Amino acid sequence: MDLTELFERYPFFREAATAFVVIFVDICALVILIAAGRERRRGDRRWAKEGRGYMLACAGEIYPLGAAEVLIGRHPSADIQFPDTEISRFHALLTLSDGKWRIEDIGAHNGVTVNGRRITKPCILHQNDAITIGNRRLVVIKGSGKDVAK
Amino acid sequence: MTKSIKPVSHPFLLLLVLIAHTAMMILVVCSFGMTAEVLKMACAVLTADLVGSIILAIVNREACTVDTVLLLVIGMSTIYQSCFGGLSFAVKHFVIGIAAFLMCQLSYAVTRNPYRAERLKPLWYGMFFVLVAMILFLTGSRSMWIDLGFITIQPSEFVKPVFVLICASSVRTQLDKHSIAGIHFVPDNLMLILCTVVIAALQWWCRDLGSLPTFLAIAGCGILMRFCYLREKISLRLMIFLGACAVMVVVFACKFAPDYVQDRLHSDIWSDMSGSGYQQVKALTAIAEGGWFGKGAGNGTLIKVAASRTDIVFSTICEEWGLFTGMMTVILVLFLPASILTVPPRSYYHSGLAVGVAAAFIVQMALNIFGSCNVIPFTGVTIPFISQGGSSMLASGILAGFLKAAQAPVLTGRDAQKKQKGGA
Amino acid sequence: MAVRQQQPLRQRPPVPELDVSTPKSMRRAGKWTALLLTAFAAGLVYLGWRLISQSAFYMAKSGQATYGKVTDRTGDVLFDGTQPLTNYEWGHFADVGNLIGDTSGQMSNTIVARNLSDLVNYSFTYGSSGEPAVLETTLLHSANIAVSNAYGVKNGTTIAYNWKTGETYVCVSRPCVDIAQGYANIAEMAEGSLLCKAFYPTVPGSTQKVSTLLAAYQYAGVETVNAQQFDCQGSWTNPNGDVIKCHQDYGHGTQDLAAAFANSCNPYFAQLVQSGIVPLSEIITSYTRMGYSVNGEPAPTLSLDGITIQPASTKLTDKDQFETEWGALGQGKTLVSPYQLMLWQGAVANGTGSAVQPYLLRSKTAADGKKTEIAAMHHTDSLFTATAAKAVQDVMVKNSTEHYYVSLGNYTCGVKSGTAQVSDDGRQYENSLLVGFCLDESCPVAFCILIEERESWDVTTAQIAKVLLDSLSGMI
Repeated sequence: MDLTELFERYPFFREAATAFVVIFVDICALVILIAAGRERRRGDRRWAKEGRGYMLACAGEIYPLGAAEVLIGRHPSADIQFPDTEISRFHALLTLSDGKWRIEDIGAHNGVTVNGRRITKPCILHQNDAITIGNRRLVVIKGSGKDVAK
Repeated sequence: MTKSIKPVSHPFLLLLVLIAHTAMMILVVCSFGMTAEVLKMACAVLTADLVGSIILAIVNREACTVDTVLLLVIGMSTIYQSCFGGLSFAVKHFVIGIAAFLMCQLSYAVTRNPYRAERLKPLWYGMFFVLVAMILFLTGSRSMWIDLGFITIQPSEFVKPVFVLICASSVRTQLDKHSIAGIHFVPDNLMLILCTVVIAALQWWCRDLGSLPTFLAIAGCGILMRFCYLREKISLRLMIFLGACAVMVVVFACKFAPDYVQDRLHSDIWSDMSGSGYQQVKALTAIAEGGWFGKGAGNGTLIKVAASRTDIVFSTICEEWGLFTGMMTVILVLFLPASILTVPPRSYYHSGLAVGVAAAFIVQMALNIFGSCNVIPFTGVTIPFISQGGSSMLASGILAGFLKAAQAPVLTGRDAQKKQKGGA
Repeated sequence: MAVRQQQPLRQRPPVPELDVSTPKSMRRAGKWTALLLTAFAAGLVYLGWRLISQSAFYMAKSGQATYGKVTDRTGDVLFDGTQPLTNYEWGHFADVGNLIGDTSGQMSNTIVARNLSDLVNYSFTYGSSGEPAVLETTLLHSANIAVSNAYGVKNGTTIAYNWKTGETYVCVSRPCVDIAQGYANIAEMAEGSLLCKAFYPTVPGSTQKVSTLLAAYQYAGVETVNAQQFDCQGSWTNPNGDVIKCHQDYGHGTQDLAAAFANSCNPYFAQLVQSGIVPLSEIITSYTRMGYSVNGEPAPTLSLDGITIQPASTKLTDKDQFETEWGALGQGKTLVSPYQLMLWQGAVANGTGSAVQPYLLRSKTAADGKKTEIAAMHHTDSLFTATAAKAVQDVMVKNSTEHYYVSLGNYTCGVKSGTAQVSDDGRQYENSLLVGFCLDESCPVAFCILIEERESWDVTTAQIAKVLLDSLSGMI
C-alpha cells in the first residue's frame, strides 16, 4: 500500500496513526472501567439475592452481612465487633452456603443461643430469628430496597 | 438466575476490544502493506475476539471485566510479538494466549467455590511438592527448565498459582488451633512457612533468584492477611519490629548473597556497556529512540538483543509503538488485579487469592519493567501475558482465573466440610 | 383477629434499606491491592519522568547522537557538533581546544566530554529533529585568544576568574590542539596538547610562600610575623647541614617579612619554618584546611563543572629537614594545580578566606528548546581566616605597587611571582609563575599564570597578566 511510503516520508502521519491506536485502546480501557462500575452494582444485586437480603439488627444498629463469612466477637478484627467482656474474642461465625445463612459457635465462652436455644452445631437462620450473644440480642432482618431480588 | 438483572454491556465491551485490535491492525497494515502474514494475524486475532465473546456471552456473563481485559491484552501482545523487527505472525504466542484464556476459565471453574477450593488444600500442597520435586529431579543441573525436546517447560512458573492457593486462608482454618507441648499453632500457617522456606531454598539452590521476590511478596501478603485476624491489633512496636526484621533480612541477604547476585546488585550498567549492562543500555536507548510514538511497528532494532521478547519486552514495545502505548499496555494488565476493587471478594479465601494474585502480577511487572530500565537490579522475570513464554503465560492465565473466581463466587457445599469434620 | 394482628405490625419501625457492603475483613484485600497498585503506579510515573529526562543521556551513551554547540559568554562558538569545524576560520578553536574538547573521545577531562549528555541534540519529544543543544560558558573568547597569542612561542597556562561571582573568563593552556584540524597527526602533536594544564598539579615555586605566610599569620598573628626579621647571606644552612640557596647570590641582608616576600627570599622563609614561630603541625593543619594532601593524607578532589582537578599535595615531616623546608618554599615534592592557586587568590582577594566557587557553564539549552540556568554562586569552605586573608592581601598589594607598577599599569593588583625548579626525566628547567588578583571594579579577577621553561629574554608573566587584564577590562 502507498501508506507505507507516506509513513516513511512523513513521520508525522505515523505518529498520528499511533496516537489513534492509543486513543482507541484508551477508549476501550475507559469503557472497561465503566463496565466494571456497572458490574459492581450487578455484583451487589447478586449478593442481595444470594444472601437473601439478610442483615443483623441490634439495639437500633444495623449490621450488614456483606460476605460469606462474618465473624462476630470482641476481637478488633472481627467483622461485627462488640467490646463486651461477656463476648469472646472470636465468638460466633455466620456463614452463607447454598443460599442459607448459618450461625456456629466457634469456641465462645458463654455460648450462642438462637431463639432461646443454645446451639451446639451450625444452626440455619431465618428471618426474625433472635440470636443472643453475651448480653446482646441480634435479630435477623430482611432489608428492603429495589435492589433486592424477589 | 441472573436474567432478572440487566446484562452488563458485554457485547458492547467486546465490540470495543474488536475496534481496538482493528485500529492496531490498521497501523500494522500501514507499516507493512497488506501481506499474507498481516491477513493471517488479523484473522486469528479478530476471530479469537469474536469467538471468545460469543462463548462468554452464552456460557457465562460473570466477571466480564477480567475476560475482556484478558482478550484485549492477549490480542495486543500477539500483535506486538508478531511485529517485533519485521512481521511474522507469532502463532505460538497466539495459541498459548488462547490456551491461557482457557486456563483462566478452568481455574475459575475450580476455585469459584471458596469452600471447595480451600477444602482441596491438601491437593494444592501435593501439587506444590510434586512441582518442587520436578524442579529438583527433572530439570537440568541447577536450572529451572525441563527440556522435553520439542518444548521446554518451566515448572517454577506453575508453582506461582499453586503457591497463591496455599497462601490464601479462611478464618475457619485460622481458628483450627492445635497444641503440642504447650505451643499453640495453626497447621495451615506452619505449612505456609514451610512452603515459603522450601521455595526460597530451591531458588537459592537453582541460582535463579529472579522470581524469589514474587514468591516472597505472595507469602508476605498471605501472612499479612492472616495477621489481621490472628493477633490482637498490630501495635506500632510490632510493626517496627517486623519492619526492622525485614530490613535486617534484606541487608543480610544482600551482604551474603552469592557473587552472581552481588554483581547484579552493584553493577553500573554505564561502566560496562558491552558486558553485563548490554541489555539494559540497549533497552534504555531503544526507549529514548522510540519517543512518545515509537518508530513504527516492525522498525525496531532491539529485537537483535537477547531476551527482547521476554525480559526487556517493555522496551521493545516502547521502541516500536512508543512510550504511550507501552505504559498503556502495562496499565491494561494492571486492570486485572484492580478489578477486585470494583467487585470485592465476598469470602476470606477468595480475598486471600485476590491479594496473592495482585502481589504476583504487580511484583513481576515491577521487577521486569523497573529492572530493564535500570531503576532496580535486573532480573529475568516476565510481564504477565505480554512476554513470550508458554509456562509464564499459562500460569498467568490460571492466576487471572482466581481473580474471576473472587468476583463471581459460588457459595455451596460448606456443610460437606462440616460433616467431614464431624465424622473425623 | 385480623385487625388485632395488623396493629403491632403497623407500629413496627420501617424495614431498613438493605446494605450489602462488605465487612472490613474483606475490604482488607482491596486495601492491600490498592496499596500495591499505588506503589506500582508511583514507580511508573517516576520511570516515565526518568526516561524522558534522561533520554539525551542514553543517546549520548549509546554513541548514536549528534551534538550541539558550546559558546562563550558573547555567543561566540567554541565547539559545534552540527557542522564540520573546518567551516570556521583557521585557528578559531586553537585557544581553548583542550578545555572545551570535542566529541571525538580523544580528551576525557573537558567540558564537552564531562557534559556530553547536556550537549546531545536529542529530546524525547522531538527526537533529533529539534534545535541544536547549546551549552553557554562564562569564557570570553576574545580574551582567551589575546592571552594565547601573548604567549608567543612559549607554552604554559593561564586561568582567571571573577572572584566576586565565580565566572571563569580565561582558561588557556598551551600547546593546544586545534579541534578543527582533527587527530590525523596526533603522533606529531606537541606534548600536553590534549590536556588543559590549569587542572593538573605543577611545582608552584615561590607562589607557595603565600600558603606558608597564611599558615604563619593564622597561628602567630599578623603583628608577630610581620615584625619577624631574618638574615639572608645568599644561602642558609639548616641544623642538619643542608644548604638552602637564595636566588640572589650575595643575599638580601636582614629583612622583615614584607621585604622578604617581595624579594621572594628562600632563606628567610626557610628560617621562618625552622624557627618554630609556627610549629610544623600548625603549617600542616593550615595546608590541609586549604585543600592540600599533606604526607599522603587524602584531600578532596576539586571539580569545575564536571572537570576533575587533583588536589594539591606536599610532604612536610620534620622542620629541620631540607625536604620539608624546601617543600614549604614550593619546590621539591610540592605540587599545586594553577586552578587551585587561582582559587586561593580568590579567597585572598575577597578578604574572607572563603573563595567563590569558580564555574564554567552558564546555561544549557536542551534540544527541546528548554533553557536552564546552571550558574549558581557557591562559596568554598573557609580555607583560611579572614584576618590572614586581609593581611596577605595587604602584603601582595604592597608587592604589586612597589614592584609591578610599570608592568601592570594602573590596575590595583596584588601579585606574587614564583620560579619553579622542575626536573622532568632528568631534564632541569625553570617555570615562571605569577598568582594574584585585581581589585578594580572593572576587572575583579583572580588569576594564575604559568610560563614553562621561561628564559630571561622571553615574555614575562607580568606581560601576560597585563594582556589578560586589558582584554577583560570593560568586557565583563
